[in-house]
Amino acid sequence: MAAREEGAIPGSADASAAQRLRRNHDEIARLADDLLPALIARLAASGLGEIEVREGGWKARLRMPAATVEARRTAARAADAHVRASAHAVAGPSHSRSEERDRRLRPEPEVVEEPGLVTAKSPAVGIYHPRRDLVVGMRIRAGDRIGSVNVLGVGQDVVSPVDGVIGSSLAESGEAVEYGQDLVRIELPESAAEAGPSELAGLAGLP
Amino acid sequence: MFNKILIANRGEIALRILRACRTLGIGAVVAYSEADRDSLAAQLADEAICIGPADARHSYLSAPAIISAAVVTGCDSIHPGYGFLSEDEGFADVVRAHGLAFIGPSAEVLERFASKEATRRLLGAHGLPTIPGSGMLRDEAHALEEAERIGYPVLIKPSAGGGGKGMRLVRTAREMESAVKVSRSEAKAGFGDDALYLEKYLDDTRHIEIQVAIDRFGNAIHLGERDCSVQRRHQKIIEEAPSPALTDPARQELAERALKAVAEAGYENLGTLEFLVDARGEAYFIEINCRIQVEHPITELLTGIDLVALQIRIAAGEPLGITQADVVCRGHAIEFRILAEDPAKDFRPQAGQVGAYLAPSGPGVRMDSHLYPGYDIPSYYDSLLAKLCVWAPDRSQAIARGDTALREMLIDGVVTNIDLHRAILANQVFIDGKVTTNLLDRVGSAPFVAAGNR
Repeated sequence: MAAREEGAIPGSADASAAQRLRRNHDEIARLADDLLPALIARLAASGLGEIEVREGGWKARLRMPAATVEARRTAARAADAHVRASAHAVAGPSHSRSEERDRRLRPEPEVVEEPGLVTAKSPAVGIYHPRRDLVVGMRIRAGDRIGSVNVLGVGQDVVSPVDGVIGSSLAESGEAVEYGQDLVRIELPESAAEAGPSELAGLAGLP
Repeated sequence: MFNKILIANRGEIALRILRACRTLGIGAVVAYSEADRDSLAAQLADEAICIGPADARHSYLSAPAIISAAVVTGCDSIHPGYGFLSEDEGFADVVRAHGLAFIGPSAEVLERFASKEATRRLLGAHGLPTIPGSGMLRDEAHALEEAERIGYPVLIKPSAGGGGKGMRLVRTAREMESAVKVSRSEAKAGFGDDALYLEKYLDDTRHIEIQVAIDRFGNAIHLGERDCSVQRRHQKIIEEAPSPALTDPARQELAERALKAVAEAGYENLGTLEFLVDARGEAYFIEINCRIQVEHPITELLTGIDLVALQIRIAAGEPLGITQADVVCRGHAIEFRILAEDPAKDFRPQAGQVGAYLAPSGPGVRMDSHLYPGYDIPSYYDSLLAKLCVWAPDRSQAIARGDTALREMLIDGVVTNIDLHRAILANQVFIDGKVTTNLLDRVGSAPFVAAGNR
């Protein structure tokens, strides 16, 4: 179910991108650890709208929150592809050392995701049901109930971790979900996003 | 037979159960905590599901999380492994209430054997000798009277204590009066209960356990014994089978008595009866383990029987399919528990990332481990990294193979007790097969650690 099966079926279109990603994961790790924090700081100080850095076969582009929804989608796709690639890398019974390096990247997809992306996560393993009136664009406050996960007949609340706006759903109603699974995207409101560097809609793009 | 088993455990045993499922052609789902997302079992499984955070209370010890995971993944049974909820009768009961099978004894059987004290009385009534002791002591005179009957040396034990807390060794009648007084006030202060009893103190004992398997049709077999006398603070470090301390007639008699008693008492599934054997060869029953044990591989090496598969088949309601005559123990097997702890620093548990890793192999070598290069050892759970098991036609060859394999084993990035194992193997007391449970604690591990650093 959930995480494992998803990782095990890379679409053929994703496959070559996934392989490229895998080859370059060491590069990404270095970018994420060394370059990105410095870039974010510099972008914040510069007053510029966008910074792009190329290195080897990679480029990292960071944008201020004027970012469009489309940019966010691209970023999310990059993050998904990243997770798929690393999950796929460990699906086999034997592990080369480079694959192991790939795998260890998996717990830190946030460095590839746009910093502004937040999700409501499953509090338990069970069956997920969003609340009935949940619609994209709905404003919510931190702690607001978004839905519930049914654990053996007992509902556990899924709550928003932040103030924001309901974005796309990442799980269907009635779907089995695992602990910690991303269920709903929470978009940060523009006003909050404009506040400062912490809300950067950064993007580490594909080459 | 089951269709799909939820494996509610971690580390090497999750992997071991996964392998048994595959051998039997049964589907398996590995339930893991957030800290075990990168575990080998979760990676190798066809299906894996995160059941909770690193804290075991909310994952591996959470009955709702485990059962919910089994339900949503379409499992019909749950294997609890060892530790965690493996002997929890409440859990077994709730599992059944949700229409799932618990792979282990039924809730009723677990409950019957839950209390150590009650189990000793139960199996004592079915003919197993237990450590002689008294009832609750009324006063000093009563203590003297009981000690005389049991025979010195005796231990004064607080009824409310446990894990060796508050015990006092009394070697002669002269010490008894004051010892009872002091123990009583200590127990009162420590546990809020000053009830005391006496138990015979056994000096140099060996830990010997009998593996049994009983199906629901009453078919019962034993699979010989394991000697787990190499211990440190009651933690087993090296196990071997057969025991060098028993003659063939003695081992057979002990195994048969144990099996008869536990079968008559209504036990079902795999189980292990633990005994302390004193210097004269007298065996005293101490407790039963109602689960698959860490050291089960050495029995598998001797008998060629897959114990985890057998356990699953019994839980599925199948008959044993073998009789006592089919159980033939061949050769000698030794298990070394490879732990992430530093013998030079009071055995402090170690965490870290595994660098280079090489599992030994060769004739008669079996390595059960969840390690791989790059694996981050989580600090939340026990320190067991691997179980190295060796088999050879006789004990001296098994020791030689063990040493060869230990030399070959490479686990970089974390301090382990590999050298301690080699030092124990080289120690004359071990070579002579004369290790008693108190050896490491009595002489201390320093000589072994020093030897290991040569």
